[in-house]
This record gives sequence, C-alpha cells and structure tokens, in this order.
Amino acid sequence: MTGLAVDDAAWASAWRGRAPTDKLLLSGGLVVTALVLPAWPGSLLVGLAAVVLALGPARVPAGTFLRAVRWPLAFIAVGALTAVVTVDGGGLGWAPDAGARAGGLVGHALAGTAAVLLLATTTPMSDLLPALRRLRVPAAVVEVASVTYRLLFVLLESLGAVREAQAARMGWSSPRRSYRSAGLLAAAVLTRSWDRARRMQEGLAGRGMETGLRVLPESQPSSRAFLASGLVLLAAIVGLTLGAR
Amino acid sequence: MHIAEGFLPAGHAVGWTIAAAPFVVHGARAVAKEVRENPESTLLLGAAGAFTFVLSAIKLPSVTGSSSHPTGTGPGAILFRPPVMALLGTVVLLFQALLLAHGGLTTLGANAFAFAVVGPWVGYGAYRLTRAAGAGLLPAVFAGVALADLATYVTTSVQLALAFPDASTGVAGGLVKFLGVFAVTQIPLAIGEGILGVLLFRVLTVNARPELERLGVLPPAPLAPTGGAA
Repeated sequence: MTGLAVDDAAWASAWRGRAPTDKLLLSGGLVVTALVLPAWPGSLLVGLAAVVLALGPARVPAGTFLRAVRWPLAFIAVGALTAVVTVDGGGLGWAPDAGARAGGLVGHALAGTAAVLLLATTTPMSDLLPALRRLRVPAAVVEVASVTYRLLFVLLESLGAVREAQAARMGWSSPRRSYRSAGLLAAAVLTRSWDRARRMQEGLAGRGMETGLRVLPESQPSSRAFLASGLVLLAAIVGLTLGAR
Repeated sequence: MHIAEGFLPAGHAVGWTIAAAPFVVHGARAVAKEVRENPESTLLLGAAGAFTFVLSAIKLPSVTGSSSHPTGTGPGAILFRPPVMALLGTVVLLFQALLLAHGGLTTLGANAFAFAVVGPWVGYGAYRLTRAAGAGLLPAVFAGVALADLATYVTTSVQLALAFPDASTGVAGGLVKFLGVFAVTQIPLAIGEGILGVLLFRVLTVNARPELERLGVLPPAPLAPTGGAA
C-alpha cells in the first residue's frame, strides 16, 4: 500500500505485467477518440470501453475507479454549467442549445477521464517514466521525475504523521491554529525532503554514483494480440460513431 | 482545480500545448544542465518536485467553512526560480493527472501554461518587485505566493473563456462568467495561500537558514567575529 489508491490499483492490476507502451497506445487511442469524435455516441462508447476494460480484464476495483472519477466531476459540472449560462443585458439565462452543449462537454470530459484512468489504474508511474526516454525526453529530466515519484510516498507519509501529531495537540481546532499548523507542516515536509535527498545523495556518492541513477528495467514484452485487439476496438468505436450520424 | 481531461476542444488543447512547450523545454534544458554539472542536484530537484506535489495536498481552512488546497507553485518559484518550476510544475501536473485524476493528458499543456508557467512567473515577479521596493522577505513572500495562486486561476478562466465564449457577449462575456466562478472565489484562497507561504518561510528562516542562503533567498550571514590572536 502506497497511500494513493490509483497507484495501489496500478501495482495490483492484472495488466501490471503488460508492456507499458501497449497500454499507453490503447489508452492514448481512447483519449484521442474521446476528444475528436462527436459526443453522441462516441463519448459513450469510449467511456464504456474504458470502464469495461478496467473493471473486467484489468481487474481494477470498481470503488477505486469510481472514487477517482469523483474528483474531476466537480470541475466538469461547474465548468459545463458556466459554459452554457449566458450573460445578456445584465441578466442570466441559458444559451440556445444549452442542454446539448452541456451534455457534449460532460460526455467528452468523462470519457476522456475514464480513458486516462484506464492507463493510470493499470500502469505504475515507475513503468511509464522509462517509456518517456523513448520519446526523447532527456535522461536528466526522467531521473528527476523518477526521484520525485519515489519521494512522494515518503513525504506523504511524513505529512500524515506530522498532521496526526498536530491534530492530537489541538493544532487544527480553529482556523487560526490550522493556518499555523499548516505552515509548520509545510516547513517540516520541506526540510525533511531536503534532509532525505542529502542523505540519499551521500549514500549514492559513497557507492560511486557519477553518471546517474541506473536501475535494471523489468522485462515486459509487447503483445501483438493486445495491440491488434486495441486497434479493432478503436476502429469499431470510430465506425459505430460515424455510422450513427 | 485543473481543467479536466477532454474538457477543452482539440484545437485549444494543441494550441496551449504549443504555448507552454518553449517554457517547459527551457526548464528541461536548465535542469539537464544543472544535473550534468552537479549530478547530486537530481535528488534535490526531485525533492523539490515531490514537495510541490505534497504541498498541494495540505488542506487549508477556507472562509466558507470548507477547506481548499494550495497550488504550491508560489513557494517553489521563490525557492527554485520559474524556469525550474516550469518543468517541475509540469511533472507534478502529470503525476496529479495519473495518480489523482486531477487534470488530464490532452489538457496538460493548458494546465502547465497556467500552473507551471504563468503562476510561477507572476509570483516570482511580484516577489522580486516587492523586495526591490524595499520590503522585507515575508511581505514579498506573501505577495509572490498569493499572486502566483491568483494568476493561475485567472489564466485558467481566460483559457476557458476562449474555448467557450458566451452565446451573446462573446469571449468578454465568457471571461466575466469564468472569472466570477474560478477567480473571484479564489481571492480568499489566494490570501490563505499567501499566509501559508509567510508561515512556511518564517519557520524556514529559523530552521533552514543555510539552505535559504544557498538558494539565494537570504543574503549570506556575516561571519561571526573570532577571538583575536594573543
């Protein structure tokens, strides 16, 4: 358990052993399809495909998937509502095609979010970051991102522990105390992150680190059957959507 | 609050990605140069990225009685400078999209432009101007952190207004609507994040003064006089 439900799901997913580039191509294809196809029925088909694949063959817990969708839902609802309200002559009203526009926006956003979550809940970040090297992202940048990912969990654990100790001492009992505690908490996390980085650096320097943090990549061969199935799925979604119009 | 996956039309998503790219590439080059010259910087830069992510997970009480989260880029811009934050902010946005479902992949460019480019540059500019005007560290930190937060949401509102102009009053009407929803409501939260920044730097000036001196935030302390030779 790492403390981030999506990351936990990715490590436990039945698709964990599949090649990250295969999953990246499938999810990327669904994301682009959700973006460019008309919302009806394109978004519905993309969303359905992403949810069925995640909860079915990839065996992602339904609760984790639904809870993750809940987060962007607030932005999607407020953003779509604001987009279809019109301000005219000092008063508020609905745009002429408000229902269809709001439905389209919500559909595109939910389908796209489900497609991104299919990748996020089946592929740990440590598998995805090496794939960035193949996209010609500089090695130094990928290394910094890898260290960020690995330190996240240490710092989140520190954050939880310090906050719990502050709460036990009534540190979050009033807005004034909460602000003071939040400032102390941020400072504690920052100084701990510097301390942790310095200790890691000293440890690695003692082991002769000169050219970077090299780790042995896990072998996850690409599957032609998986890629072909993904291609058929995407073609079917495009065909059904264009055929329905 | 970042723009969710699929919310922006394809043309706008591509356009904002192109707009953010030079800043992120410049940041990546700055980071690559720093790591090439000092390999040990990898760990400190990674720690800075992780701190930005974790800072955005701290809950602050808001005036409505609920809670909000800081953007986290203001302190980072003051400590590590905007070019580095352009890259670290984009990495943090990628992690937020893939670990928390906040934001998205096609909206990464638009979110990076608001959160990792405009926010840090406005915040750092406000910090430097306030210091140049003769203010102390803490008032400058307040101005920098609060304006970094506010500038992020003003930019998000502009992005949404351009994508979804009002049916009768166009982009201007759309901007009024989105600023009203995403930026005006953010003013108390930006003030709250500014206060958090002040509290953070007040603790750091006591507990982490050598680090602040090394990062150029504080001038080096004068050497303590040593005992004279007999």
